[in-house]
Amino acid sequence: MPGMAWGAERATLSAALTPEKLGASTAVSFGIQIAGGQVSAPLTAIDLRFPVDLGIATSGLGLAACLPAELQAHGPAVCPANSRMGSGSALVEVPLGPGVVTETAPIALLAGPAQHGYLTLLVCATGESPIAARIVLPTLLLPGDLHFSVPLIPSVPGAQDVALVRLRATLGGRLTYYERVHGRRVAYHPNGIVLPRRCPRGGFRFAATFDFLDRGQASARTAVPCPASR
Amino acid sequence: MPASMALVLTVLGVVTAAEGIGARAWGAWRAPATQAARAIIVRDEGHLLFISSSGSQLLDQGRASGTVPGSVRVEFTYDGSPAVKARFTIYGRGGSIRGQASGTLNNPVSPSPSFRGALSITGGTGRYAHARGSGEMFGVFYRRSYALTVQTIGKLRY
Repeated sequence: MPGMAWGAERATLSAALTPEKLGASTAVSFGIQIAGGQVSAPLTAIDLRFPVDLGIATSGLGLAACLPAELQAHGPAVCPANSRMGSGSALVEVPLGPGVVTETAPIALLAGPAQHGYLTLLVCATGESPIAARIVLPTLLLPGDLHFSVPLIPSVPGAQDVALVRLRATLGGRLTYYERVHGRRVAYHPNGIVLPRRCPRGGFRFAATFDFLDRGQASARTAVPCPASR
Repeated sequence: MPASMALVLTVLGVVTAAEGIGARAWGAWRAPATQAARAIIVRDEGHLLFISSSGSQLLDQGRASGTVPGSVRVEFTYDGSPAVKARFTIYGRGGSIRGQASGTLNNPVSPSPSFRGALSITGGTGRYAHARGSGEMFGVFYRRSYALTVQTIGKLRY
């Protein structure tokens, strides 16, 4: 269920665990919706907090690193298959002349080189039309926290910058990795994120804060209810 | 009862009682039985397979070989921070040894990152009931299979 927000910019956060079975592998999905008028002020940072005990680090995701420079230049296709950690999409508003055009960009979540001993998550969004642009957002995968600095995306000359209005992403899901078995390259599906065996009171809680170019700020929170016990 | 007999019995009783008191007193002052304390250098290596997991915590189990051979059970916690923690129990001949360890994981993006840290022995059962000690731990975490290889070097007192 989406959580409501306060602030000049309204924002909602949604989250889902699929499947939601305690002690079993799952895919973690989250969605962000920004609403601040016909053209929202551009987002400059997102801080997403999730349950510390979610088992992202102990998942079998991100067994190789994709180099950010290669990713920026050529897109996710050049990254090792074993660096894939998820996918999603972003919806942006592009001011064009008197009107506003929306554009949907696919998102790839990949593991980047470790920094200071932490896993790095690379969020790569590639837009094609009307604005052809690729942005790569690196973030440290801290226990229970992901912080993204969102760069400004220029639109056409003389127009306002592009504004993110919706982001949906899933960590895990149906991914294909490869390993060497007796000298042969064999495909397999990595184990996803393992849920704790006990659900905390109030469910699995998620929260996010958003910073905007106009110095506005918004926050939102939500919780995935504990699965019904059999 | 003739007075002389009563006197003898009384004296005997007093002597007996005194002997009893003396025996108990003597027992109280008797030096306690000594228990030999041992200190050994331990070098062990374990190859552990994944049993189950719960969020950030993995449970692995396997065989340990070395100074204190036996079966080993490890709860390994890794929440994304390079600091990893472990609680372990070694089930050897004559008893079990419990301990905990903390270390640093190297290169988490690798399929098999290594870790290194310090360990302490906190107790045990059987012949290791009073076990204490400390040392170092080295290991590898296999992220594909969730298996662990752990080597420990330290001093054990029990």
